[in-house]
Amino acid sequence: MNNIQIAIIGAGPAGLSAALELKKLGYDDLLVFDREDEAGGTPRHCGHLGFGMFEFKRVLSGPDYAKKLAKLAIDSGVNIKLKSTLTKVENGVLTFSTPEGIKQYKPTYTLFALGARETPRPDRLVSGTRSPNIITTGALQRFAYLQKIKPFERAVIVGSEIVSFSAIMSAKHAGIKIEAIIEEKDEIDSFCIIKYMVKYLLKIPVLTNTKLKNINGEDKKVTSVSVSTDEGEREIPCDGVIFTGQFTPESSIMQKSFDDFNFSNNSLYISQNFQAKDDGFFVAGNVLRGALAAFKCYFEGKKVAKNIHDFIRFKHQPELIKIEADENISWYYPSMIDLKSPTKQHLTALRLKRRAKGAIKVLLNGRMIYKKNIHAFPFMSINIPWKDIELKPKDEIKLEFVSS
Amino acid sequence: MESINLNHLFPTKTSNFAKDEIFDVAVVGAGVVGCAVFKEFCEQGAKTVLVEKANDILDGASKGNSAILHTGFDAPPDTLEHKCVQRGYEEYMKIKDDYNLPFLNTKALVVAWNDEQLGKLDAILQKGLGNGVKELDLLTHEQIMRKEPNLSLDAKGAILVHGESLIDPWSAPLAYVKKGINCGGKIAFSHEVKDGHHNGKYWELQTSQKPINAKVIINAAGLYGDIVDKIKGTQDFKIIPRKGQFVIFDETAYNLINSIILPVPTKRTKGVVITKTAFGNILVGPTAEDQESRTDSQTVKETLEDLKTKAFHMLPALKNHKVTATFAGLRPASDETYYRVSINDEKNWITAGGIRSTGLTSSLGLAKHIFELHNTRYEKNPKADEKVTVPNISEFAPRDNQKEGYGKIVCHCECVTEREIKNACHGELGAGNIGGLKRRTRAMMGRCQGFNCEAAVTQICKNEVKNHE
Repeated sequence: MNNIQIAIIGAGPAGLSAALELKKLGYDDLLVFDREDEAGGTPRHCGHLGFGMFEFKRVLSGPDYAKKLAKLAIDSGVNIKLKSTLTKVENGVLTFSTPEGIKQYKPTYTLFALGARETPRPDRLVSGTRSPNIITTGALQRFAYLQKIKPFERAVIVGSEIVSFSAIMSAKHAGIKIEAIIEEKDEIDSFCIIKYMVKYLLKIPVLTNTKLKNINGEDKKVTSVSVSTDEGEREIPCDGVIFTGQFTPESSIMQKSFDDFNFSNNSLYISQNFQAKDDGFFVAGNVLRGALAAFKCYFEGKKVAKNIHDFIRFKHQPELIKIEADENISWYYPSMIDLKSPTKQHLTALRLKRRAKGAIKVLLNGRMIYKKNIHAFPFMSINIPWKDIELKPKDEIKLEFVSS
Repeated sequence: MESINLNHLFPTKTSNFAKDEIFDVAVVGAGVVGCAVFKEFCEQGAKTVLVEKANDILDGASKGNSAILHTGFDAPPDTLEHKCVQRGYEEYMKIKDDYNLPFLNTKALVVAWNDEQLGKLDAILQKGLGNGVKELDLLTHEQIMRKEPNLSLDAKGAILVHGESLIDPWSAPLAYVKKGINCGGKIAFSHEVKDGHHNGKYWELQTSQKPINAKVIINAAGLYGDIVDKIKGTQDFKIIPRKGQFVIFDETAYNLINSIILPVPTKRTKGVVITKTAFGNILVGPTAEDQESRTDSQTVKETLEDLKTKAFHMLPALKNHKVTATFAGLRPASDETYYRVSINDEKNWITAGGIRSTGLTSSLGLAKHIFELHNTRYEKNPKADEKVTVPNISEFAPRDNQKEGYGKIVCHCECVTEREIKNACHGELGAGNIGGLKRRTRAMMGRCQGFNCEAAVTQICKNEVKNHE
């Protein structure tokens, strides 16, 4: 067993930027762990441009961004343990599987920066055949950019979140023809400029109001998908299906290891300082909520590093109260408020599961103390300010959305 | 960019015996029953070949089941099924350690969810005792809750069946085949039996590859049992495939229950079970849907939703957990409920058909029974007592990722190592398709379903196959 001061799990944008910042603040007894065989996280296989504008004032591709971030960390002396899979968290001890055998560490501070994944087919309960050619954007990216493999010829993309655009770019890179993008909702799940780009520049049909009814095929092959619209059912021939978006935190290890798990967020409860309920544990990046852009995770990593620094400097003793949310809310964070924290001017950011008009309400011990009328899309964040709200220990806070 | 057909990642296998070789026995079908029969006959000294249509074992009915080792407490009394389930259970217990096969005695609760079901418990208890299963207890609501605190408060009463246990449904048959091969048995994968005739001395089976000659045919063709049986001239039964859909929940749910939660069975089916699996998940299913098709194992959204709803009623805390996988298995049910096992001495033909359920448990017992039916003496194979082991992929014993030198973990959800994947690609019993690779390693079977590893696994397999060509 090794005692260390700080352990960071996950060498993606959040984990690496936190490590860089902590290093800058003078922390040397620090280890970053990642299960992959190279550092960089998800951007490693996002082959398209659009990374680094805010962090490095340059436009980079995902892999270049990941390399740059990893190099910065290594050059500044951050020790990254690769091929280290966290298998257990118990009594403050982290157990890893590594090719050199089982390794255990007992850190004083642990930051979980575990990232997120897309929801694959099973959790969406889709009818039809099973096939290795039914994949997610993440898998397609890895096929196209990391392994240089074209797994099928023509595919249908399911879902229209911004990541579906990345699925198109990855498919293009691999030489896969996209037959259509289908979206159950009556409009696409990202800014409508994307729709026009896809439709008119890339000439790919964007079918809104279209439900995936069945994946057709037998014997592990996909031959087509059946979709239904108001006009009826039809088949789109294809040999691959790409499920996109519906990001969910890669949080199973936290759910298994901690008693108090926030099921609305599929993550731990965390305060405005990114601190979890259990002493010494912090959480940052997309494991808090599913996918936001890499730069948000990068800046969050910096922020959480400063918070850890403050905890150490001031021997901070938090006083935490939880925030709960109703089922209309897809995620929200912070999900706790630390009453003793010097950071009072903070916000809770939240998103809705569906496009809706109505009011976000904050209930304090059952009484409404704040209301905000909104008309929000699922990809828009809504902020709730806490600065004018007086809170006491044992207060119960709930976020509600009531449609109008 | 290289185009790779994921369905043909592994080359079609050929057999390693001469065209004019005459076997004592040909076992048709490498499902769990065929694998166990193959092992038994090889050990007994018969020159045996296992003939399989697919490019791997367990490609039909045996790939999807609830992975429970049954005591036979609810088996139809005094039937062959009853006898073989209990004999199969005993046999499994005898050999499991030698083969490195997992076993977890979780026990089962047959739970009554309403007064009508509660009224049936006593009859089930009596039936169980009559079936020779002595370790049975009636539990009250309070006793259930103490054992299973997460179960719905609607549980009125239950029977505790001490012997019911979990095993790994894929590694066990793999071990059986491996043992058979070790005793000199041969396998012909991708040999679909098309027809056959008896030339007065032995059977000549026509297959999609080379013909196979054997003195006796054992038909263990599962979903195709009735079609293969026609070759002998008469058809005594008809297969009516019964689809069973399943929902698998993430490992986060694993500790929600301690025992297997069984329903009070109906005449037709054992009903929907909630159980842990040897791979650390929670399994819910199966449904029982009769159909014509022998290949259509599509899942249906509404049915899966219904399974989830049923499971949430019984185990409300399951709501907070993600679905890791959904699948459907096809059971080779026949036009009668009992096992269709018979011998036709004149024709030198043995049929093991209609093993619609419980085949995983009964297979070793059934194999012994079939050898007795065969009633021929061979000189026992000198290697019959030798040990063969298969790699452990269950959560009940240390896995490969806990032993150093594994390269790296490729599938993060299921902690599958590069070494495991490479090993599964090799040898006579290496994976014959992606499904076979999954069943040998668990790769891509976790919560992300290949989001992280499908591309890397494909690359590794491609290279391994190429390196060994």
